[in-house]
Amino acid sequence: MNQQYDLVIIGSGPAGATVGRFAAAGGLSVLLVDKKQELGAPIQCSGAVSRHALEEVGVPLDDEFILEPIYGFAIYDQAGAATKIDYRKLKEDEYGSGPGRKPLGYVVDRRRFDRFLMTQAERAGVETWLKTEGLGYQPTEDGRCDVFLRRYNEKITVSTRVLVGADGLMSQVGKWAGLQTHIKITELAGCLQFIVDNVETEGLLEIITGHEWAPGGYAWVFPKGHGYAEIGLGVIPTMTTHSAQWHLDKFIKQSFFKERFKDSRILEVQGGGVPLAAPLRTQYADNLILVGDAARHVNPITGGGIHTALSGGKLAAEFLIRHLSTPGVSCAAAELKGYQDDWLQALGDKMWKLYHTKTKVFHQEDIPTRDAYLYQTMSDYFDPNSEYKKI
Amino acid sequence: MSKLQPVIFDIGWNACINCGACVAICPQEAGFISPFDTIAVDRACDIACLLCESICPTDTITHKLVEEGGKD
Ligand SMILES: Cc1cc2nc3c(=O)[nH]c(=O)nc-3n(C[C@H](O)[C@H](O)[C@H](O)COP(=O)(O)OP(=O)(O)OC[C@H]3O[C@@H](n4cnc5c(N)ncnc54)[C@H](O)[C@@H]3O)c2cc1C
Ligand code: SF4
Ligand code: SF4
Repeated sequence: MNQQYDLVIIGSGPAGATVGRFAAAGGLSVLLVDKKQELGAPIQCSGAVSRHALEEVGVPLDDEFILEPIYGFAIYDQAGAATKIDYRKLKEDEYGSGPGRKPLGYVVDRRRFDRFLMTQAERAGVETWLKTEGLGYQPTEDGRCDVFLRRYNEKITVSTRVLVGADGLMSQVGKWAGLQTHIKITELAGCLQFIVDNVETEGLLEIITGHEWAPGGYAWVFPKGHGYAEIGLGVIPTMTTHSAQWHLDKFIKQSFFKERFKDSRILEVQGGGVPLAAPLRTQYADNLILVGDAARHVNPITGGGIHTALSGGKLAAEFLIRHLSTPGVSCAAAELKGYQDDWLQALGDKMWKLYHTKTKVFHQEDIPTRDAYLYQTMSDYFDPNSEYKKI
Repeated sequence: MSKLQPVIFDIGWNACINCGACVAICPQEAGFISPFDTIAVDRACDIACLLCESICPTDTITHKLVEEGGKD
């Protein structure tokens, strides 16, 4: 007979590892698999996350993965005029590097962060398999489902009550179940970023708006620890005839930061796709739920998805612990809908609201009007009085 | 003519950063994916929307048309 679990989780990013950790701590038997040999690599993320997001899900603020503390934001318009929101100045008593003061957030190394999260899950009792790829799933007559895996070339079938798809933006798990997962080309930004030496930063996440630099998206400069910085940008393919690489090169050589970037030396090249899109309408099927990027739990204005992966992961685990504690309970799609309802209430409704705000910006046909609108929206979003949680 | 001609992709691996953006945008059914987290390069794509090419941050995907009746 196939090995039996309460949960099998595909993908050990922030979402999957968090579902696993809370579910195992709540008494469920959990198998967490990831196809990679080194989690988080190659890096497809800038790693900015708020302190609040980590604390909320009980992740210790550990040097193992923290690259640098963050104290606020600087939002630039196309010409270089900036709105600075520095919490070291706004709330001196609370934020800073001195004793009794704290950072607003961190830039983390995703390789170390994802490994740390998996270790925490493992210590909570999760069985973890690397080099294990999810290939498919099939609900079975006993109300469970079979999950087909390949581990170091060996095909293995395991049986589980619920399969959790936490397989990121490239998610195949949702497709297995026939869910509508397609992203519109107008809502996926192609991103490229360089880790560089010789660029000064000051503990702020810098966001640069303007069609000239990043059509459909934005550019950024983040502190990366050890005196390094990250310069990156994302563009929407339908708004330009050039690649992200072309735009990044132009941004570095021609923007108002060209002097600042003059002596930069590239130490790493990274990239990825960032959805500036709405959450999936349906995030569950028979014996299956999706979490994190796989469910498109991503902030449609910033593209940030670590916070939402962590908090959505915790919420999914809490739902599943409750649901599976009833003996003989069904895991058919209709019964798992409760997960999505919980999610919408806690996070999703806000995300939909952000999505509508973002859509309004990009429906502006006139480029200068749109640029002004985007700059304003970004500045409002990061404002200390904004209704949305930071980063 | 409504049906697009199938295409087969070539990825310049030297410039590819394995970022997965091409897979993320691809409307193909599950499994049209290479072992390097890119769209598949070992079989033809009959949707041929070319969204994968347009999203690629390093512009490293190209395609050839596959003759109808399918050699290649
Ligand atoms: C360029 C860029 C910059 C970003 N910057 C930020 C930022 O600064 N702050 C922020 O909050 N967010 C940022 N994001 C978004 C953030 O990276 C994601 O939202 C986050 O990683 C989502 O976590 P996840 O756990 O859902 O998925 P992922 O982190 O993508 O994890 C998915 C895991 O599933 C595994 N997997 C996939 N398929 C299979 C399979 N078939 N079998 C087994 N394993 C599988 C993968 O190997 C991977 O480990 C950025 C994204 C990009 C592309
Ligand atoms: S052409 Fe379209 S369907 Fe075919 S691989 Fe590229 S994105 Fe996918
Ligand atoms: S989008 Fe381009 S760089 Fe990214 S994985 Fe696909 S081919 Fe490689």
